[in-house]
Amino acid sequence: MSKPSDLIQGTLDLLILRTIALEPVHGWAIAKRIEQVSEDVLQVTQGALYPALHRLEQQGWIQASWRKTETGREAKFYDLTPAGRVQLEKELAQWQRLSNAVGLVIRMAEE
Amino acid sequence: MKPPRRLHIVRLRLRTLARRQRVEADLERELRFHLERQVEENEALGLSPAEARRAALRKLGGLTQIHEECRDMRRINYIENFWRDLRYAFRMLGANPAFTAVIVLTLALSIGANSAIFSVIDGVLLRPLPYPDAGRIVRVFFHSANFAKFPLNPFDFRDFREHTRSFESLAGFTRADLQLSGAGRPERFTGFAVTAGFFKTLGLRPARGHEFDRNAEIPGNEQQVILSDRLWRNRFAADPNILGRKITLDSRPFTVVAVMPPGTEHPGNAYNGVAHGETVDLWWPFAFRGDPNQRGSHYLEVIGRVKPGVAPTAAQAEMNALIAQASREHPDALEGWTALVVPLYREIVGPSRRLLLVLLGAVGLVLLIACANAANLLLSRATVRRREIAVRAALGAGRWRLIRQLLAESLLIAMLGAALGLVIAVAGVRALVALLPAGFPRADTIHVNAAVFAFTMLIALATGLLFGLAPALQAVRTDLHDSLRDGGRGATTGSRPLRLRSALLVGEVSLACLLLIGAGLMLRSFVNLLRADPGFRPEHLLTARVSLPDAAYKSLETIRFWDRLSDRLNSVAGIRAAGVGTDLPWTGYDDNVGGFTIEGKKPPANQFFHARYHVASPDYFRAMGIPLVRGRFFTAADNMKGTPAMIVNQSMARRYWPNEDAVGKRVTFEDHPKEQDWMTIVGIVGDVKDKPESPSAEMALWWPIAQTPVSVNSMAVAVRGSSDPALLANDLRQAVRQLDPTLATSDIRAMGDIADANISTPRFALFLVALFAALALTLAAIGIYGVISYSVSQRTHEFGLRMALGAQPADVLRLVLRQGVRLALLGVVLGLAGALLLGRVLRGLLFEVSASDPITLASVSLVAVAIAALACYLPARRATAVDPAHALRTE
Repeated sequence: MSKPSDLIQGTLDLLILRTIALEPVHGWAIAKRIEQVSEDVLQVTQGALYPALHRLEQQGWIQASWRKTETGREAKFYDLTPAGRVQLEKELAQWQRLSNAVGLVIRMAEE
Repeated sequence: MKPPRRLHIVRLRLRTLARRQRVEADLERELRFHLERQVEENEALGLSPAEARRAALRKLGGLTQIHEECRDMRRINYIENFWRDLRYAFRMLGANPAFTAVIVLTLALSIGANSAIFSVIDGVLLRPLPYPDAGRIVRVFFHSANFAKFPLNPFDFRDFREHTRSFESLAGFTRADLQLSGAGRPERFTGFAVTAGFFKTLGLRPARGHEFDRNAEIPGNEQQVILSDRLWRNRFAADPNILGRKITLDSRPFTVVAVMPPGTEHPGNAYNGVAHGETVDLWWPFAFRGDPNQRGSHYLEVIGRVKPGVAPTAAQAEMNALIAQASREHPDALEGWTALVVPLYREIVGPSRRLLLVLLGAVGLVLLIACANAANLLLSRATVRRREIAVRAALGAGRWRLIRQLLAESLLIAMLGAALGLVIAVAGVRALVALLPAGFPRADTIHVNAAVFAFTMLIALATGLLFGLAPALQAVRTDLHDSLRDGGRGATTGSRPLRLRSALLVGEVSLACLLLIGAGLMLRSFVNLLRADPGFRPEHLLTARVSLPDAAYKSLETIRFWDRLSDRLNSVAGIRAAGVGTDLPWTGYDDNVGGFTIEGKKPPANQFFHARYHVASPDYFRAMGIPLVRGRFFTAADNMKGTPAMIVNQSMARRYWPNEDAVGKRVTFEDHPKEQDWMTIVGIVGDVKDKPESPSAEMALWWPIAQTPVSVNSMAVAVRGSSDPALLANDLRQAVRQLDPTLATSDIRAMGDIADANISTPRFALFLVALFAALALTLAAIGIYGVISYSVSQRTHEFGLRMALGAQPADVLRLVLRQGVRLALLGVVLGLAGALLLGRVLRGLLFEVSASDPITLASVSLVAVAIAALACYLPARRATAVDPAHALRTE
């Protein structure tokens, strides 16, 4: 039973990939970072995050490992695989194209 | 997807599967970590620990559902859930043994029946013929307005073989049994005279030696023989030095030139037919004797292998061109003939195809009914289980998840049914093969094998989905709230389940009617066959075949032998009449003589006079029980010195001498007859049809033995006693032995058995279709019973109310019966409509009964409605037994 996500389907994947591209991060931090970076505009439904992580892992874009956090607790950290890096490039390019197109349409409407 | 990534994924999946617990624990830890951080954050915002925890849980959403979704994402969930569902299904079924038994048994019976029929279809229709590249093997026939499939004239065949470009090889063969003497008692073996390249055409090679070349076709060279593996082993102890050895066949020395390997199957033939299979023991050369310009006689059966890429139709076109070319040289012989090229596969299995497909259709219907039945039973249980399902849904089971679980149950039921069905199929196939009509093609290739197994699993899967889907969808559609509230106490909510069940019921009844009508029509047809006058009396009649070797018996000796044999047999006490004749009724006879002259008559334009021809001794007709209509039978006076005499059958008398008395009329076979060439018709005998189901008898004539144009060396002997014909076998053998100890008496059979074998196909079809129809009717009755019982239990309150208000038990009874019978009637009407639409399918399998036979349709309708009323009666009785006070209180 999947709930309707607050984010456009597929965008969550992009956000996750982008977030973990810099360094390995655990699920909680991914949720927090997406919220912070997007200045609280994008609220990740936490319930949707973990299934997405597991799906991405199953697809081979990301890999997981247990590591210590800065506070010394065990957490599951996610990291991009080489294939995931390629996938991220692809999705970014696609997003860029899409947002440019949307922007164009909006500017046209304003004129 | 690049290979490394794919590998990675496979590894991940395996890990999830193999280390399930570890993965689950990881997930658990991961989510707990998340939750704790959220709680900490909430506490930092000033919430109390309890509040902080609640808020965190709210923010995260249902933990169980996230677990479930993550498992879904890992895919592995499917397999795992499947196992869990299966275990659960096992428990559920075990908890309801009676329910499980009914549903599994009905499915097993119908799946088993389907698998058994499929085994037959697989062996007969689907398995390729036992020849390499068998698709290129064809049979070649002549065809004319009078004769659909006719053998060829040997010299025509030889011309065609010379000129054809479509055929890789073309060969002729004709039945020519040989009597083997020497070691042991004389015995006749099934043999064929074949032209060069017969085995090459089939794609077969001798295990030792070589097959005949064209030299063997030259008259005088034909004393060579090829043995079957069986004959070589049984009569020659598998002698490795058999090649070149001389053996005595029909009192002549033959040289063994080859031995065929086991599995050399006869392709079947029409003229003195021998069934397809390993049925032939000897092959010897066909010699082209006689005048190549005399092309009137047709007796060579032809088989060919077309070149790769040549279609049978193209080969046929070429043969027609060759006929046209040859008819310039032999206009009389080839006038009106065309070629007919039929793929061997179609020739062998064609006649059985329709029967098998009808049977497959019939069992298919039974399976559909069983599905509807199972669906109905599951539906009634789904009502009982509404509460359970509602609880599961409330606890977070998704709709699709619930459907999957219910489907697992139905699939498990289907698989149990299939397993039991396979057992039934194995037994059923054995029974089927034993029951198969005489001469059924390829009966020896029928086995329960991997293909049958796969088919069974496939239909089990399909039936499981088919009967499980509707109840499953129905179950998850129920309103959660209602189900939980009234605690599944059989509330009256929703007429939808009943509507669906009624629809299933109507379907069941209509399909059962369809089968009943099929069975009814076959029964009528079979009774017609039994009632039809065969034209002879098969009871107390023993038949056999005696053949005289050409070398020892010239024409005079032959005539004398048949005379003496008849006399001797007729003098045996206990034998009421004995005769010899070329042919026995219903044994696949199709010889014709054409182009004779009838005194004072001309054949219609483009046609010629023709008739089946036979030879008979004076007592042949009396022994066979063929009645004399007018004139007289042959007598001892119809000998070489007597006036040429002839007997014709009623069909011939009526056709050629309409409104005249045929007795005394004259016929000749000479083109320029002298006075002594005219044969006078001395008697008219009753008609005997070629086969019991033939629409009418062919025209036929008989010569007396002594006046036959060519001497007949092989005759059927008919001996009529007054009790069990088997008791006469010794007398018959002894009589033959006393006349000539070197002769074999072969094919000893009671005429009753021959007659029986001739109706074995319709009997087989009737038996099976009736069996399926009975099964269908039982299933439908169970279905009706189930639906009405359910409906009665739902309406207990209503009935109680009615009775409290003064309704009599009879009124309630009528109410329930009316409900059931109305559904049954609807089913019957649909079934009748279906039967009228599908009647075409049965055409060709029915004898003197129309597919829309009103008697059958009416009686089937009556039976179906009566059974429906009976099935309703029990629940209806229960309805009348309702105690109004009790019924009203329970609500």
